[in-house]
Amino acid sequence: MSSAQKTLLFYFRSSDKPLFGCYHEPSASRLRSCGILICQPIGHEYVNSHRALRHLAARLAEAGFPVLRFDYYGCGDSSGDSEDVSVAQWLKDISAAIVELRRRSGLFPICTVGLRLGATLATLAAEQRGDVESMVLWDPVVEGEKYFDELLLLEKEMLRFRPKRRNQQSDARKEVLGFPWSQGFITEVKDINLGIIAQGFAKNLLLLRSHSDGSANDSQDYLDRLATRVEHCCLQAPEVWLPTADGSLLVPAQVLQAVVSWNSEIHS
Amino acid sequence: MTEEAVLFGARQSLAGIVTEPAIAGGARVTKAVILLNAGIVHRVGPGRIYVKIARALAAMGFVVLRFDFSGLGDSAVRHDHLGFDKSAVVEAQEAMDYLYATKGIEHFLFLGGCSGALASFETACCDPRVLGVILINFQTADSENEEVSPDLPTRNVAHYYWKYALFDSKSWRNLLTGETDYGQVIRVLWFELKRRLKFKKREQRRPTRFEACLRSLTVRGVQVVFVCSDGDPRLQDLRECGGLTLKQLCTKGDVALDVIRGADHTFSSVCDQERLLQVICRRINAMRRDAGSRSDAATYSDETSSCQFLQSSSVMQAGTNSAQGGDL
Repeated sequence: MSSAQKTLLFYFRSSDKPLFGCYHEPSASRLRSCGILICQPIGHEYVNSHRALRHLAARLAEAGFPVLRFDYYGCGDSSGDSEDVSVAQWLKDISAAIVELRRRSGLFPICTVGLRLGATLATLAAEQRGDVESMVLWDPVVEGEKYFDELLLLEKEMLRFRPKRRNQQSDARKEVLGFPWSQGFITEVKDINLGIIAQGFAKNLLLLRSHSDGSANDSQDYLDRLATRVEHCCLQAPEVWLPTADGSLLVPAQVLQAVVSWNSEIHS
Repeated sequence: MTEEAVLFGARQSLAGIVTEPAIAGGARVTKAVILLNAGIVHRVGPGRIYVKIARALAAMGFVVLRFDFSGLGDSAVRHDHLGFDKSAVVEAQEAMDYLYATKGIEHFLFLGGCSGALASFETACCDPRVLGVILINFQTADSENEEVSPDLPTRNVAHYYWKYALFDSKSWRNLLTGETDYGQVIRVLWFELKRRLKFKKREQRRPTRFEACLRSLTVRGVQVVFVCSDGDPRLQDLRECGGLTLKQLCTKGDVALDVIRGADHTFSSVCDQERLLQVICRRINAMRRDAGSRSDAATYSDETSSCQFLQSSSVMQAGTNSAQGGDL
């Protein structure tokens, strides 16, 4: 991150369930016509990808975009506990963040850049609001049920050489990789299916994949219908949201560059 | 309780969150707790445990600052080429300066996991404002411990075999029915054997710098609490590096060592996070109650006595984890 860049840390929506935000002021040399909201993934994926998304925000700001990163209610530095969250609450959070970004940047057009469940939530919020100009979906979660199964598989693998837990899962909450979620929230996530939401509510969409597999192709068709203009980009890049063997946090330069280039082209 | 995002340090580039208690009547808080990054995870900590710790301590009346060292989380990188071991101490001191300038706080307790524990320890060694440290899964300095842990992932597996799989029927069944990766087992056991032989050679060594620093902290009256997961090989490293000095200081009650049974390095189960939180609150409360004495029964506990200690505490009734159904 350029040391000349100005980054502001703050809480917004202060009267009710304050959210933590980090605003990256755009480089003064080239001001773009669109603000960018970064929607982070959740749980361990949030922790693992924090570094990559911070670098992405810095690069976008350097390219002239005002950028806001924020934490959903019950996540990161925001108020609340993960056991009290809901998808509906997080969609409200995204709306509040859009309002905050518009207030700070003075720009109305907004592009959301979401990673994993963050991409999914951004899509749902954009459909609900109908005023999001463009979206970048970086390895979005298309089917909630499948996503949750993958999390449980990963947890099993992660805990293979760790002391085994006694079964302490309660009816009210379920724990996934160190994060407790309410059963109600898990049901909400499992019910998510991007294939059955409304179509054509954004002007531009970039669908980024860190690797190509069959399931990605299956979901491609209905994601294609989300926006008027859709571009696909498949890069052989590390999956930054996954834990690494040595505990390092990855920053996939080629993915960040793809997001910056696409936005720069769309919002010149 | 309130939370505020702050930037501080010489270049206003260190990002942190100050969590403050809601105190009626404008009463002044006199001590603060500062949380240092666990490894390279940003200031929320693994499993968001730092947020939970900060809020729990604020509820006890402390001002708490959790921040990112330069280059981590939202803090900008340094450009002075200062090594992490030195910059971490400088930045921890800047955190104290900030809380003194903004809140008038003069005395501090430090808490950190893994490399954050080492940074807390080093800061306490060189700054008299530090009254106590809670060192979670303390990472002994590489320079002193090079021979002990050159390959942590393999050590983790070896530790798991030794502590859990060896006593687990499912692991033995897997071994006997061919469901085990024999190559890996042999590699790991060979690695561990070599490591132990190396350690035997080192046993007649001179006292380490770590031991000298530990003694000097206790002479100064700094309260030192190690909190370790018994599923983490760093506990063994600590005992090896601390040697007789650590044992003596624990026996005298100058240093405390709490072992949390069945927990792993990052406290990846919510139950273990809750047990960690309870231990921290109890120890911090004891530090506040009596900074001068060691009345809170500092102990050098092996796993058995630690288990008794943990179970005797009301908060540990959630139960300790056990090594059941392990893979080998």
